[in-house]
Order: sequence, then C-alpha cells, then structure tokens
Amino acid sequence: MYDHQNKHNSQPRYTPLKTLEVFKAVNRSFPHTDEINHIHDQGGKVFGWLCTYVPEEILHAAGILPVRITGYDRETDLDDGNAYLYMNNCSFSRSCLQMGLTKEYAFLDGVVGGSTCDGARRLFDLWRQYIGTPFHHVLTVPRKYTENAHSLYLAEVEMFKTHLEDHLEIKITDEELMGSIELYNQTRSLLRELYNHRKKPNPPISGSEVMEVLDACFRMPKESFNHHLKKLLQELDGSQNAYSGRARLMLSGSVLANPDFISSIEQQGGLVVADELCTSTRYWGDMVEVQPGEPPLKALARRYLNNYPCARMFPSEERFRRIIETAREFKVDGVISEIIRYCVPYSHDLPLLTKRLADINIPVLSIDLEYGSSGSGQIATRVQAFLEMIEAKK
Amino acid sequence: MKKAANNKIQSIVRACRIILAMIEADSNTRQSQKMYYRMLLQYYTRLRDARENGQFIAAHTVFFPAEILLAMDIIPMHTETTTWMTSLFTGECGEILAAGARLGMATEICAPHRGMAGAFASGALPRPDVMVWSNMVCDNTAKSGELVMDICGCPGFFIDRPFKDSGLEKTYMAGEIRDMIAFLEDKSGKKMDYDRLSTIVERMDRQIELTRQVNELRKNVPTPFSPLGFLELLTIDYLFPGQPESIEYLETLKAELEEMVKQKKGAIPKERFRLMTLFIPPMYLMSFLEKLSVESGAVSVIEPFFTFWGEGRLDASRPVEAVVEKAYMIPETRMYGPLGESALEAIKKCAREWKVDGAVYYADVGCRHSCATIKLFKDALAEVDVPVLTIDCDVVDQTVTSEEEVRDKMERFFELLEDR
Repeated sequence: MYDHQNKHNSQPRYTPLKTLEVFKAVNRSFPHTDEINHIHDQGGKVFGWLCTYVPEEILHAAGILPVRITGYDRETDLDDGNAYLYMNNCSFSRSCLQMGLTKEYAFLDGVVGGSTCDGARRLFDLWRQYIGTPFHHVLTVPRKYTENAHSLYLAEVEMFKTHLEDHLEIKITDEELMGSIELYNQTRSLLRELYNHRKKPNPPISGSEVMEVLDACFRMPKESFNHHLKKLLQELDGSQNAYSGRARLMLSGSVLANPDFISSIEQQGGLVVADELCTSTRYWGDMVEVQPGEPPLKALARRYLNNYPCARMFPSEERFRRIIETAREFKVDGVISEIIRYCVPYSHDLPLLTKRLADINIPVLSIDLEYGSSGSGQIATRVQAFLEMIEAKK
Repeated sequence: MKKAANNKIQSIVRACRIILAMIEADSNTRQSQKMYYRMLLQYYTRLRDARENGQFIAAHTVFFPAEILLAMDIIPMHTETTTWMTSLFTGECGEILAAGARLGMATEICAPHRGMAGAFASGALPRPDVMVWSNMVCDNTAKSGELVMDICGCPGFFIDRPFKDSGLEKTYMAGEIRDMIAFLEDKSGKKMDYDRLSTIVERMDRQIELTRQVNELRKNVPTPFSPLGFLELLTIDYLFPGQPESIEYLETLKAELEEMVKQKKGAIPKERFRLMTLFIPPMYLMSFLEKLSVESGAVSVIEPFFTFWGEGRLDASRPVEAVVEKAYMIPETRMYGPLGESALEAIKKCAREWKVDGAVYYADVGCRHSCATIKLFKDALAEVDVPVLTIDCDVVDQTVTSEEEVRDKMERFFELLEDR
C-alpha cells in the first residue's frame, strides 16, 4: 500500500470512507444493480450509451435510465468478442461486445452511440447485427469545432431526440430537458468538488477510490448518485485521511474503468491526483450553459461538441492544451499515458503529446494494456522506474 | 546519414523503369498493363522532380479528393500508396517502419501510417509544402496529418467527412472542401480553376462508368482480367482520378477484355476457382500471388470494397458537390462506413452475379477497422454458400506472414473448394 502523510507512525491515519461502500456495491453488482432491477420491475426503460459524445440528458429527459456500456472492468476471457470483432480490434470494444453476446446487457431497451472512433463504430455495427437491442441510434459527431460542425451536430442531436420520441411515442419538452440539464450539471459540480480535494498536497481520497465513484456515476440514476456523492463530500470535508506519494501523477489516454489498475500504480508510491480519461474529466469536465432564451438542445449540442476533447477531435492541440492546463492545475510531476490495445487515436497523439509535455518538463510513461487489466508485474516495474526518474529530477 | 540519400521516390522510379523495360519487350503483356506502368513512372517522376521544377507539393492521405489538387495544378503525393509502392518495388519498408517506431509510433497504428511518418522523418519522402488529409477511411487517416505537419514543419488542412450520407452531412463536407480550397489558394498562391475541376469531374464520372463496364466483362467465364489486375483499377483511381491517362487506360483495358471475351479466352490458362477479394493483399507478395494464381487456376473476379462502385453519377456542373458525392460512392465506403444491410446485400449480390466460388480476406492485422468486418462478411457470404479464407498478413510489413504460410493456406482452401 502507498504511503500516508504519517507513514513513519506504526498506525497509519486512514479511515475507510463509508459512502464509498455504496458506490463499490453498485459497481460489484453491475449490471444487475438493485436500482436497474427496480426500474425494470416498474416498467421503466434502461438505455445503454457508448461514448461521451452522446448527450445523456436527452435520455434522462425521456424518462429513461441511461447507463454507460463499459465492458468488463476486470480481466476476463474475451473469446466471443475476439471472434466477432477480431483480435486486433480495440480491447474496450471487444470487452463490451463480449458482455453483450453473453447476454449481460440483455436488460437494455436501447443503445446509443456516436461515430467517434473505429472501435466504437464497429462495436455498434456488430451489436446491431448480433445482439438485437430494440432501439439503436448512432449520432454523427463532427471532428471539428467550426460553426458548420456545430450546426451539423445540433441537427444530429435534434434527429436523435426525434427518433427517441417516435420510438417511445412521447414528447420531450424543453422543461424536461432543462430539468435534466440542471441535474447533470449538479453531478458535474459535485465531481469538481471531489476533484478539488485531489488538488491538495495530501488528498483525502486516492485515485482508485475516485475511479469507484466515477464508475458508479455511469451506473446509477443521477438523483441517487448526487445524493450519495454529497454525503461522500461531507465525509471528505471532515476526513483526516491524507495520502502522499513519491510523485503526483496524472493518467491520460484511452477509456479506463478498472480501479485496480490505478491501485497498482499507487501501490508503487505514485499519487494519482488527476486524469484525462473519457471515464473521468472528459466525461464531467464542462458544464452545460444555457443562454437566456436559448433552446436547451442547442446548449447541449454546444457543450458536447466543445467538451474536453477526445483524441478523435481536430486540432489535437486543443486536447493537448487542456491536458497541460489540468497537469498544472493539479501540480503533477508526471503523466502516465495508458493506451488500451489497438486504440488508434490515442496512439497517434502520443508522440506529439509527449513532446508538448516535455516542453513544460513533465515526463510521460506510456503503458499499453488490455482494457480491464489490473496491471502486471511488468507495469509495476515500469512505474517504479518512472517514479525513480521523477524523484531523481526533483 | 543524409536525408536525401534515403529518398525512396528515386527507388520507385528506377523499379518502374526496369519493369517497364521488361514488359515493353514482351508481346504477351497487355497494352493496358504497359500503360499502367507508364502512368506509375510518370507519377513518381513528376513527384521526384517537383521540387526542382519549383512546383507546389501537397501530401495527402488515401481517398482524399486529389481532383481538387489536380485542378489547381498542385503536385499530389499519395502517402499511403507511396508507402505501399516502396514495399512493392523496393522491398525496403523495414527501414521506414523502424523510423516510425523511433518517432514513438506504436504498433497500434497500421504499418502504412507508421511507415508514412517514418518516411517523412527519414527523408524517404520529399518534404511537402502542405499536408492535406481526411477521415475518409479510418482513425489512422484522420490522425496522421498533424504528425506529418510537425515532422515536416508544413501547414495542413483536415477535411472532416461525416459518417453518414444525409443531405446535411454532404453539405457540411462541401463546406469543408471549399474551406480547403481557400487554404490551398492561400498557401500555394494558385487559384482554383473551376472549369478545370468540372472537366476532371466529368472524366471521373466516365472513369467510374468504365470501371463498371470492366467489372461487367469480368463476369464472363473464364474471366478475362488478370488474377490481381484489380490493383491497377485501384491505383489509377488513387493516383490519376479524372485524368486523361486513366480514361485511355480503361478504354484500352475494356477493348482488350472485350476481345478476350469474344475469343472465349481467360486471363489464366485454366480457370478453376473464381475468387472474391475482400482486402488488399500484401504488396511484397504480389509476384508470388500472381504465380500461385496461375498455378492454381484461381482468379479474383470481383472486389466489393475496392472496385465495385456504388450507384450514381457525378454532376460536373456542380463540381464541389460531385467531389463530395464521389466520397460517398467509392467502393471502400461500403466497408468503412456504417455497415448496414446495404453493404451486406452488396457483397451477396457480387457473389451471385460474378459466380464466386470462394472469398479471400487478406486480414491486414494493422487495419483494425476492416478486420472487425470479417465475421459479418463471413456470415453474409455463408448465406450464399461462399466460404471465406482469412489470411492474417500486413499490407507492407513483411514480418507478419511468409510466402510458405500463404501458399499452405491457399492450397488447403483450393482443396476445400475442389471438394465442393
């Protein structure tokens, strides 16, 4: 286990966070959580979404529980996923498909994706062909931030809303959308508060614990998630826990959902205080800001396209700028770039990102891993060497 | 090592000259094939001499609308094809792949794009004046441009092609093309000649029509076109879109094939197996595959994702919109776009109409996007009783598979077809 502030004391000062257990319980039982089961029993609908460019608020405003399709956040056999998507496809997609093919997502009433990367697009193609969820929708997501790109994406978001309304035979009102935006913005604000704790020299919560919170965020109704997150924040405010480590680290790169992977870094003495992942800051980073008199859909579309960018977006400099900003804000000593097997966009960005970070004296350790991996001896050795290198520079 | 000493363009030019000298003297070689090699020689000679001639070079990725460059009198450099050609003609791809690895390009990235970055970094390809690219195929093409800009210190423009083909999406892409034209005008000092673009589009329309006619002729039993001749069709579209040379080549080829059909002659002495090719074979195995095809009587008669154009015509009176239309008509979009029923129906239609016995999927291990279609296509072809052979390989990286391995797999597949 990594060090605490008073590491030389015989009794480290660390009190388990009670509310964290709620989130961990959700993650342990997912996808068969009590809340999902309850919604189904009551005749409610649960939809899966596949990428952070899908405006979740629209699903919520339609009275649906949106859950993120995340595949297995642990190491497991992906025999069917490999057979259907081939071995060389991104391991996240294979993991998601594996869960789909083994009927673990059979409870879904719909799936929504974006044309964001090859892995996600192919996953969607095969999902539609072989899994047969009743509702499918893929949004075209432009790769640019231009005015034309915003107009196109807004039209796509409108079409998605109409498709959903037609399918469910309902109307989603602006009031309902505004209510959902408010709720989701509250989630974002609360997560920002959580991350503010991580800026402290000795944060009261570890990186792997934060990952548990984030995973639960994708799997719970936001109403109850926000309720529990508020409780967690109260706990943290009064907590004496104080993590320390050999270096403050930021995680960057492909989709990641396994807290054990972060734990494996922290066990080597790395203090993971920030992240740039689509399961973390790229998910909650920016608020939806509705201008007076503006249709809520327009505000949603603007936020989702302008959000903390994925490596798919152009120009990449925007992503690099945000990463540098985050690295400075959280005072990180080094960045660990984790790229899941066969994830092309992040692999392409790595040489340029490494250069940009080197310019501000932040070294990068690049780790390739299978999605869901909890880390390995080889990774531990590389993290150790990276920490030694950072320590030598200090 | 001096960068100029690594220049692979000269190696390609030299190889083309040698091949051309050999086939010019061979009376059995198709006239169209001679024309094809002359075109390759012309393309790479022009590129080699461009800097010396003070011409403006634009490096671009695959399926990028080179029609725009040609209409502006800009010298195009097709980066992926040039990397393939390096593998095909010089067998020296290892060097540029190693240079790509030194840049930090992970093996997650496909070999042509690792090679492309390595080729620019090592001086194997000349420094372009601009880099222009698009996401027409995959994430690799979408992501490759910025690194090239960084390596070469040149400006660039990325064309964002939306995923689906609604009117809105096509309008968006047309806007992208117009913005790129403005960018090119600014950087090159050359004005877009829209009349010239219209002429190119008109010829491109003819080129597509001729390709369809050539494919119709390939339906004959025995098929008149050489076993891997489809790569010529592919290359002329990549390097000479809407150019007079392409029309001349296709008209000559069509006349040759018509004559062969009339004489009931096949491209190979004894046609035994009519194949569908589902991806590009390894470039460095071309001679071997040609030989194996002749020995085994196996010939590729249709390639649903490379030569089988979608329906539609290009309207030369609206040239920018026509360029967009083409971007959604190219056969590859069937594989790289949304894989709906129409793509699966197209593959079954090809199998039926071209009387296909079996399909060969060259599973390029670097191409994540295409390999993910293998199961879908196998299942679709099973519905029309066509077995599929999958060969793991890489289009340029010679370390992935060998002649022996491919021969073994092919021969076993032919035995299976024979038994059927």
